Amino acid sequence: MTNGENQGALENLKDAILQYDTEAAKAAAQKVVDQKIDPKIAINEGVLSASTILHERFERGECFIPHLVMAGDAMEAAGYILEASIPKEQITSKKVVVIGTVEADLHSVGKNIVAMFFRSGGFEVHDLGVNVKASSFISKATDTNADIIALSSLLTTTRPYMREVIEELESVGLRDKFKVIVGGGPITREWAQEIGADGYGTDAYEGIEVAKQILGISGN
Amino acid sequence: MISLLDIAERTQKGRKMPEDDWNMSLFRKIGELVKKYKIPNYTKDTPFLNLDDDLLERVFNAGVDLIVEHGVYCITTGRVVELSREEVLQAVRESPSEILVGTGKDARWMKQRKVEGKEKLNFCPGHHSPFTQDLAPIVVKNFAQIPRTDFIEGFNFTEVDGYEIFGAPIEAYASRKQISWMREGVRKAGRPGLAIVLYPITTRAEVLTAAIDPVDGLRSGDGILTSVLPDEKIEHDLLATAIACEDHGLWRISGSFSMMGGFCGGADGAIVEGIAKPLTAMICYRVYVNYTGVENVRTVSALSIPLQPLNWARSVVNQTLNRFTNIICMAWIIPTSGPGTETHLLETSLRTIEATINGANLYAPRHSRAQMNAGQTPVEGELMVEVSDATLAAGLDRKYGGEVLTSLAKKLEGRTPEPGFTIQECYDLVNHKPSPEFEKIYKDVKGQLTELGLSFP
Repeated sequence: MTNGENQGALENLKDAILQYDTEAAKAAAQKVVDQKIDPKIAINEGVLSASTILHERFERGECFIPHLVMAGDAMEAAGYILEASIPKEQITSKKVVVIGTVEADLHSVGKNIVAMFFRSGGFEVHDLGVNVKASSFISKATDTNADIIALSSLLTTTRPYMREVIEELESVGLRDKFKVIVGGGPITREWAQEIGADGYGTDAYEGIEVAKQILGISGN
Repeated sequence: MISLLDIAERTQKGRKMPEDDWNMSLFRKIGELVKKYKIPNYTKDTPFLNLDDDLLERVFNAGVDLIVEHGVYCITTGRVVELSREEVLQAVRESPSEILVGTGKDARWMKQRKVEGKEKLNFCPGHHSPFTQDLAPIVVKNFAQIPRTDFIEGFNFTEVDGYEIFGAPIEAYASRKQISWMREGVRKAGRPGLAIVLYPITTRAEVLTAAIDPVDGLRSGDGILTSVLPDEKIEHDLLATAIACEDHGLWRISGSFSMMGGFCGGADGAIVEGIAKPLTAMICYRVYVNYTGVENVRTVSALSIPLQPLNWARSVVNQTLNRFTNIICMAWIIPTSGPGTETHLLETSLRTIEATINGANLYAPRHSRAQMNAGQTPVEGELMVEVSDATLAAGLDRKYGGEVLTSLAKKLEGRTPEPGFTIQECYDLVNHKPSPEFEKIYKDVKGQLTELGLSFP
């Protein structure tokens, strides 16, 4: 198989994701496997590079949250096929994020964007929705063996529920098990530091970069 | 009109649907309606404000179809509330185009305006903004002193009487205190009957309704903010609050603007949701005064100043609502820059002019990422009144007004939002006037607007 043919297969995979076409992405992923292209290269150059393009498109207003959802579906489907051909001992499991808007707060827009950025950035995402109690965050994070708990609030008065999550983690001896990142309209870097969060993002773009830094994930 | 108890029952008995499925189904449905009704997207050749009256009826029908054919989603129960076309259209017919708010000599009629209408606008100068307890009554007094204020919305704060506001009991106490400080503020302004609208400390029903008290709290003629959530969603705390309000004669307001970039899609889809959402607020929460229009999910973080296609999309939404419904539209004039800055006043002016022409009234919430005591000052509200009056006096219509707005928008292109100042830094709350520096900026902005064709007495 020539380099050109390999590159073509990877481009097809990337294009299928950028066209939000799950079936095409699965077919392209299968072709990658059939052509014996290194699946880890395919994941990086075909799948995750698509997510960078998608995030840039979103920032420019050329695509919207539903597109990130569909792209995420395509990426997951393709990723499943590619990972099946990676020897088990070489598989780096996906990083897991549990995300939600804190208790007594119903705002969801910013949280939805961050969730979609995470998903299309290759994370496994569990979105708990809005008005989420601290215990629910911790319970889900424990059940899914999460890496990150991501908290959103848009009311100044619901910010303390972010602190409650961190305090509850400490009280049950789980603080060191999860990284906590926070964001939302009234949230500042100073607030994040005050409550002992591990990271803060001004927006979804920064949030995901901060998450990657905290987890030691480089590049894509 | 369908009763709120009917709505409550349907939230319990409607078909179950996972929320993720609802979201994507909504996106597909809106896409179908955009195609069916040939709702265009904005291009560089589209006028700044909508001039196509034929489009408005199609947009209205698309908004009605969205509710009738797709329903409304209750996030508390995970069920779909179905509504018939007759129920929706009956609500459209029977809702009032004016309501009386406040009491006594301070009572005011909130009225629906007309597109390119000549009537003066109803106005709320704030707050929807965080202020500390020590400033609360004097801040409220300053805003209530603006003569054209028709009602005033509450504010958020993080401590009450030395306690952090945390947990339902203290949240409920804070809710009552918000109203008592607001009542004190409007009394100090000589307007004891001015309508007050509760801004949610949190969105629990027990917190929202804790402030209802005919003696010391919210009374008949006052209101509560009960917003329909993005993506055509309702929930039980807000519905319960709406039901309680009915008994007490309290009116409601909903933040009913759509969010372009979310599950409604682009500007075309946001227009459809921008119609459906206030209709949903009316039917499900009995809201007659709505903050209407279109915002952008990306500008919630205030990293850039939103211009087109939002100006055009907002014009389509407000024009449609004013032509085909009785909904009383309040333009949600939310700048990305902070108070005390030129950019803030230019953003405010641009959206005020467009609101006036499109038939909306005026509402001045804080800027997008307001921090404590740094969300707004009375200057923005006063400028909004002056600008809207000047717009009316100049006889700006959609076409000529669009040219003025195009020139004004050019001043904002390429700028990044300025963080702004706290109210204490740029405003003298004792003497009710801006700081000398802020006054200079305010006068300079008025000068710029004068050069564009607006004249001020």
